[in-house]
Amino acid sequence: MDNQTKKVLILGGGIAGLTAAWELSRQNISVELVEKSCFLGGHAIGFTCKATDKCQQCGACSVEDMLKNVVNEPLINVHLRTEIKELKKSAKFNITLTKSDIELPDSQIKNLPSGKAAKGFSKYNNPLYVTDSDKDKMGSSCQITADAVIVATGYSPFDPNRKSTYGYGKWKNVITGLDLENIIRENGSLVRPSDGQKPQKVAFIQCVGSRDERLGNLWCSEVCCPYAMRMAGTVKHDNPNADITMFYIDIQNSGKEFPVFYEKIKQNIRFVRTIPVDIYPLENDGLELRHMAEEEGSPSSESFDLVVLSVGIMPGKDSGKLSEITGIPVNQDGFLDNEISCCPCSSSAKSTQASQPSTSSQSASSIAGLFVAGTAKGPAGIAASMADAGKTAFEAMKYLGVIK
Amino acid sequence: MTTDKCTNVIEKCIDLKGSENCDDANMVDISISKDVLVIGAGSFGLEAAGKIAAQGYSVSVIGVKTACARQSGCSSEMLETGKVNIMQDVAIDSLAGVTGDFRAVLIKTAGNGTGCNETGCSEKVEKVFGAIVVAPQYSYSPLNKKYGLTLNDKVVSQSQFEAMLGDSESQKKILNSNNGNGSTVAFLTGFAQEGDPTLTSRVLTSALAVQNMENCNAYIYAGNVKVGAKGLERLFTQGRHAGVVCFKPSQMPTIEQTSTVEQDGNCDHKQVSETIKITIKDPVVRTDVELTPDYIVVEEALVVGQQNLDIASTLRIDADLYGFLPSNNVHRFPAKSNRDGIFVVNNSADAANTALKLKELIGNGIKKVAANKAKVDEDRCVICLTCYRSCPHGAIFWQNGAAAISQVACQGCGICASECPMDAIQIGDFTDDSLRTSIKDAVVSAKDNQKDGQPLIVAFCCKNSAFEACEAATQFGHEMPQGFRMVKVPCAGKVDVEFIMKAFVEGADGVMVAACHEGNCKAERGNIYAKWRVNEIQKRLEKMGLEKNRLIFTTIASNMAKEFAGKVNAFAAAIQ
Repeated sequence: MDNQTKKVLILGGGIAGLTAAWELSRQNISVELVEKSCFLGGHAIGFTCKATDKCQQCGACSVEDMLKNVVNEPLINVHLRTEIKELKKSAKFNITLTKSDIELPDSQIKNLPSGKAAKGFSKYNNPLYVTDSDKDKMGSSCQITADAVIVATGYSPFDPNRKSTYGYGKWKNVITGLDLENIIRENGSLVRPSDGQKPQKVAFIQCVGSRDERLGNLWCSEVCCPYAMRMAGTVKHDNPNADITMFYIDIQNSGKEFPVFYEKIKQNIRFVRTIPVDIYPLENDGLELRHMAEEEGSPSSESFDLVVLSVGIMPGKDSGKLSEITGIPVNQDGFLDNEISCCPCSSSAKSTQASQPSTSSQSASSIAGLFVAGTAKGPAGIAASMADAGKTAFEAMKYLGVIK
Repeated sequence: MTTDKCTNVIEKCIDLKGSENCDDANMVDISISKDVLVIGAGSFGLEAAGKIAAQGYSVSVIGVKTACARQSGCSSEMLETGKVNIMQDVAIDSLAGVTGDFRAVLIKTAGNGTGCNETGCSEKVEKVFGAIVVAPQYSYSPLNKKYGLTLNDKVVSQSQFEAMLGDSESQKKILNSNNGNGSTVAFLTGFAQEGDPTLTSRVLTSALAVQNMENCNAYIYAGNVKVGAKGLERLFTQGRHAGVVCFKPSQMPTIEQTSTVEQDGNCDHKQVSETIKITIKDPVVRTDVELTPDYIVVEEALVVGQQNLDIASTLRIDADLYGFLPSNNVHRFPAKSNRDGIFVVNNSADAANTALKLKELIGNGIKKVAANKAKVDEDRCVICLTCYRSCPHGAIFWQNGAAAISQVACQGCGICASECPMDAIQIGDFTDDSLRTSIKDAVVSAKDNQKDGQPLIVAFCCKNSAFEACEAATQFGHEMPQGFRMVKVPCAGKVDVEFIMKAFVEGADGVMVAACHEGNCKAERGNIYAKWRVNEIQKRLEKMGLEKNRLIFTTIASNMAKEFAGKVNAFAAAIQ
């Protein structure tokens, strides 16, 4: 069969969905790319470059590159503000799509001369601005037949309100790592939400929602240590007088060349091994952070201008619903996954044959032709999501007989 | 004339895709060998080989020891293709040619990696390959010396301990230490090196195994517990619930290894007994915590090895700071090296991605590429080798007594063209003439729009980063001076001294060269060449009595629109 007649439906237009779509289109497979929100790029398109003078390998620019690829590729047909309603498998997949009722993200609402609109982060977003009335016109309600389906619906960031003692939403200068990304992307440097000034004393709190047995979250989100450290480096580069502290349990690696990166960052940033207890407001929108410093073995407290909560990667809010629609099971952590048992795989760039048993390809779901890619199946950074999406595209093509 | 701040030079078929948009007259068919060489016969090398062979390409796998020989990596799927030729004890001796037509000289090794043994050196064979895949094989080395420890039957490396756990005799020994009362095993990790999740996973697995043995106890002394991989936090928690104790002292524990020799009257019969004591300071109870374990398991470091460094240098591909392949550049991720057509496979995802990228590269063996990406004027070329040395993509070879550029491997960055002392190289979409015209047009257009008293600024912008940022800044309405114009270049490495000087001569008050951040250049070193040239010209400007700060070098990423506008505004303010 001619490749041209093969079609794959991809749910999710974040970095995994974009990459999978692009790789499929390279082999002349047409793609229906379905995105629930009004913009492509997912969380990662709102991430900021974390270079100092040197690139810190965060991968944010790769998302921009991939979005550019996808929007210029005629084989990829994009459905914004659209979600899946029903999926039936016969010889092919029959999918019913419907307009999603997702709200425009508050963090992206801008006041334009023409009124209020949500703004896409990249110039490759089309449309670039969406107003409420534009939104109502967007979305596809239709039936699509596809030969295979890739679910790349991503993650939901941990809801910091579940850690109520940190006062997220109550104290203006307690923000999440994602807020921080967007603030820098929008302003070109870090400014405090309360007064628009550059903060001098900044704290990062790691593992907010991750590695938390009490919450039942028995996983490391893998991306937070890298992003917090890179971000701290960027903030320090922009404002050399900034005084930055990171509260942590264990520092996780950021990929290749980590030891050099870590040694350097340790010279600029204070690391304190403890997870703070709570945060109280001070005058001038300052914050008092109480913690039990392990080194001293006694309670202490310290004031900061801004506190960043490194919220973790949680299963997508829709994963239960998607599991019902598609039949893909969720694992014990709530991520969409058919890999019941798996080795600790692939996040180390230095993985070797000696230590990693070769696992047979396992991304294939129990229903033939249905695949999961990216953070929908567990924590991953940009680079790892892209690699996984490529691998998933490979397996989907194998299923389609486009490749062997 | 365009009044856009970001004048967009129309890109011709630079990236080969969507050939329907391309003028066929400018395209040329190049044949690509459908044979692929895989260097490294470990399990990932073989996995890649199987996936590549399944696409219909012939694969030769070379390596000193193959995973097949160890019975652990040759899937029947792979062997059934009949397309995989496993050549044991064969190494690569040298490599010439370019993507699609690599000429590899293979040599039979005597198991010692050199190709020579007492009876002489073996024959060399030259073979042609369209693409090459490297699956590096690293080894482990114990870090006992960093802890001041000597390895013996009680102080062992992680690998040795894993072997002990897998061997029933050794297991009995562990169980029966202390007169049958079980053992205490201490694991040391993350003090002699940072470590990574793969190593942590091995420690956690071994510690849990120990804890599950009767009367045995596992203690982990860790710097940072690297749980950043799937399933590890769960494994860590499982271990703690089973009773594994984990200490995370802020410094390497103090360890005393003492052996006492006891003589029992018979001079031939010496009894050597050893005690090991680990001491850490507990910050909460503020006392020293001591442990005298029966076994100490020491962490291991991943070692690159000379063999991998040799392969990298033979293939002319860059490694990262520690010698691991490939170099650390986000644009190459996953699996690409700085040379198109040479891939690096470190895991299963890399193997699948490599197979896809190979299929895209080789296709049916005929590739349509733009004919004019880069051209050498043969009459001008003096074969000085400058282009060969400066090309980050290894795209340059020799033909008819002159340098020639592979239109498949060339990425059009233009570093060679800028470095060529004879000006013998022209880049298809960015010829020297077209760039001179762009510079002139930019200045003229800026003059037309410039407000009184505002400086006239020309920025040379790399099309991969600064150009994108500049366009986005314009599109998002970030204010920039009226007298600002940009000139798009294929890479900052194509910004010649001549172009910078021309911008000044035409009337620019300030010139900015905007490149990718160090380590982010798609041409690996284009930004570094650009920085050198800017520094050189600044010195010359100073000697000429001119203000050197009228020329600046800056780095930016494609998604930094706001920052780009900020940099331009700051520059304008500085030179006003």
